[in-house]
Amino acid sequence: MARVKISEYRAKKLILGNAYRGLELQGGVKLPGRLTGQWVAKVDQGVKKRFKQGLVAIGSRSKLVAALNSWKKKGFSRFIVEPFVPHKENEEQYLSLERVREGIRVLHAHNGGIDVEAHPEAVKVFVVREPADVKKLVHATKIPESFLSHLLETFNANFFAFLELNPLVVRKNEAYLLDAAALVDSAGAFFTRVWSESDIVETKSRHPAEERVKALDATTPASLKLSVLNKNGGIFFLLSAGGGSIVIADHAELTGAGKLIGNYGEYSGGPTREETYLYAKEVIGLLLHSKAKRKALVIAGPVANFTDVKKTFLGIIDALSEKVVELRKNKVKVFVRRGGPNEAAGLGLMREFLKREKLLGAVYGSDAVITRAIDEAIPTVC
Amino acid sequence: MLKILEKTRNGEDGIIAIGNHPAIIQSILDFDFLSGKKKPSLQCIITGNRKAHKCFFGAREVIVPCFKDIEHVPADIKKRVRWMLNLQSGRRAFDSSVRFFEAFPQALGGHIFAENVPEAHATELIRRYGRTKLIAGPSGVGILISGALKLGAIGGIDLTQIEAGKFKIPGSIAVVSTSGGMTNELIRAVAASGHHVSFSICIGGDRFPVTSLSDVLALAQADAQTKALVYFGELGGSDEYEIAELLKKKRFTKPVVAYVAGIIDEAFDEHMQFGHAKALVHRPDESARAKREALVKAGAISPATFTEFLQAIAELPRSAVRDTVADIETIMNRTPSILSTREIVDQSEIPAFVKRGKLARRGENSFASSALKALLGCAVSPTTAAFAENTFELLIDHGGAVSGAVNTMVTARAGKDMVSSLAAGLLTVGPRFGGAVNESARAWLSGVASKKSAADFVEEWARSGALISGIGHRKYRVGVPDPRVAALAQFAILLKKHPHYDFAREVEKITSGKNGKLILNVDGAIAALFLDILKECERYSHEELAELVEAEFFNALFIIPRSVGFISHFIEQKLHDEGLFRLPEELLFVRKGKK
Repeated sequence: MARVKISEYRAKKLILGNAYRGLELQGGVKLPGRLTGQWVAKVDQGVKKRFKQGLVAIGSRSKLVAALNSWKKKGFSRFIVEPFVPHKENEEQYLSLERVREGIRVLHAHNGGIDVEAHPEAVKVFVVREPADVKKLVHATKIPESFLSHLLETFNANFFAFLELNPLVVRKNEAYLLDAAALVDSAGAFFTRVWSESDIVETKSRHPAEERVKALDATTPASLKLSVLNKNGGIFFLLSAGGGSIVIADHAELTGAGKLIGNYGEYSGGPTREETYLYAKEVIGLLLHSKAKRKALVIAGPVANFTDVKKTFLGIIDALSEKVVELRKNKVKVFVRRGGPNEAAGLGLMREFLKREKLLGAVYGSDAVITRAIDEAIPTVC
Repeated sequence: MLKILEKTRNGEDGIIAIGNHPAIIQSILDFDFLSGKKKPSLQCIITGNRKAHKCFFGAREVIVPCFKDIEHVPADIKKRVRWMLNLQSGRRAFDSSVRFFEAFPQALGGHIFAENVPEAHATELIRRYGRTKLIAGPSGVGILISGALKLGAIGGIDLTQIEAGKFKIPGSIAVVSTSGGMTNELIRAVAASGHHVSFSICIGGDRFPVTSLSDVLALAQADAQTKALVYFGELGGSDEYEIAELLKKKRFTKPVVAYVAGIIDEAFDEHMQFGHAKALVHRPDESARAKREALVKAGAISPATFTEFLQAIAELPRSAVRDTVADIETIMNRTPSILSTREIVDQSEIPAFVKRGKLARRGENSFASSALKALLGCAVSPTTAAFAENTFELLIDHGGAVSGAVNTMVTARAGKDMVSSLAAGLLTVGPRFGGAVNESARAWLSGVASKKSAADFVEEWARSGALISGIGHRKYRVGVPDPRVAALAQFAILLKKHPHYDFAREVEKITSGKNGKLILNVDGAIAALFLDILKECERYSHEELAELVEAEFFNALFIIPRSVGFISHFIEQKLHDEGLFRLPEELLFVRKGKK
């Protein structure tokens, strides 16, 4: 969902088409046997400040091979290799495009390679609302119109959200993209054929539980999100709703319990009993694996509009039922606050279940404040 | 744009739903009903798999028409439409929204429910409609104008929630939020603190809501009913700076109580993507803390904790509104019908077939004559033809509840053709449904031939434990005669002798003496009279009549006309297609199987 990074290779290929001579190395793809001249190799996984981190190598084939091997040892798996473009530092420019409400916001600076956040004064801002605005942009930046128009068109047609060319070198009518970073709008994946899921790069690896929830999320119109924050945390969250879940997590942070939070996540948009079961199972698994001495499960959310409390709670109860013995052994107590359709029935089922299984911390409905469950859970794990 | 709230409050509330979400759609009708509207605001549903969708308006069921696409909406519905409720997925929401606004240029706005609408689609919608329409989303739960419009899941979907949110009564507090769940939480907080909502818009958690936060503030500023604004926002994006600007420039002059969620982001090493698309900090000024501070600086009340935020809402000025309490218990006890159909034969108006000893309606009866000629192999007299004709007329249909009609309708709803659906209905005809005419002919024929008294005959049947076909009715009883039997009985007057009919009446005297419901029913009357008519007018011998019974001839008197009834039910289902039928779970009693 949302804005995601795609590989530099794919971004450049989309912009330059067949003229681009760069190569993508990943999976089993190896460097060609012969490379004439000077080449550049870079880690292509959306990592920032690659040069400083030693993730860029320039030179002959043998030099690149050595660099690639050392990066692989560090755990990187995706690389880009392209011809080196010798240039002077004063040729470098900065150019970025971002989709905004009014159109495309273009940032440009004549001295490239810079950190634009640190030097806002060097950057000129333009907003391209309609094709005619390109002329003004050409006039101000001196970048060839053919390249700028093509760039904007590529950006627009392929669901780009952000594109940074830094540095960019322009010689007469030729533009050389030395470095490119691109974010695409993941919702565009259905509408475009030119990039796909496989071009999306991940900067950090995911926890297996996160992987499974992501896979589950992809197959339902409901929303299921999970991030592992502290494997050995004391508070584990089964939260609902995109906004309400943040309010509850905020409250933990404001009460000084931020570091105790084991996970963040949320289910919303009316998941079925089965989907909620599969989701809850992952959170309960994380909780049971935590080495913290005192642990609590917080099932909380705002007053839902259409997510059925009874149906989703039945799914959670299904997941809890499988682990009651382990949960009791871990002395886990469960704290609940939730409202919405079928609230009374859902809360009743949950209270009865927790009581019977000796897991009851507290169960509250929509007449209690949204932060009530987390409030009561925190003292039990501190 | 600024007049939209006013226009809607003045009755411009007609909604088209694109896509079907039964719970959300029902909640709109419930809101309308509790708000005291005379008619539902929902005009029709755009969906491909049916022609009608049943909903409750209060405790009464209404049928909402469904159309395949916007272009098929008839003119009389079209002219009432002002709002779009787009329930389609992110893949289709853009196209269908554009088609809606092209077909309804006079529309006031809409709600796009889907998450995962591409940013480029959202910005294109903004370019086209951003200045003139009020459009909540993409994503979120919609628009609520207290007492006037519920466009989406906003405020909840069950009656208890609609009642608890108190938004059937117009109040003075505008509620705006990026998050659906928090919109509802705030509506409830406003209600719980003794306030009422004037209107509420969930702009959604996407990066580019079509109607922006500033647009909503402009609406709230222009709205005379609104005295204060409550806002919930999250980390990511820079909308809150727009509020700050409006406050600073005094373009928004009413009190603002705001909460910006996302302080938790500070507990992590890296900025995290939260549930909504926009909820990720890209730049330092997008953090919850920075945005809250900007709001406070501009004069908004924006507490650090949620508890203080609720307190600030409670302290907002109250408007003088009196709460009304609806009797939702009664409405909640409603049970939906499971099939809808049309009355095909009006059973309350049975014509007189015989008047003053003569056939009342001298027609050609050509179909009945030809049918009997085909069945019996010879031409029949006018009396026989008239009796068949009148029998056909009476038996065309007996309502949609009978098992054969149910099977026809269920088959039609499964998308099957006329012959299959008719066959499904006909295959139900048998000993317990519709097959009684032949069986009672068998009973009367054997009773008369045996020369036993009616009392002995009844005693014999009773001893064997069998029921006499042709006797007994669920509704009619002694004192409340079946008008169809009464009308047919007049045929006895046309005959010199009618032993089978007399015998049937004798039997009836005995059985109805024990139980008032055990009267001669229409199947029994038809069988008895037809035996007598065939005997007298067509000179059938006892043996020939017995052969007809063996050949099941008398059931043809039911099957022929009822085929017309089944076909009528089939056509009715096709005209009013409600999609595949499924028996509601609560109508099933399910026992656990033994292992």
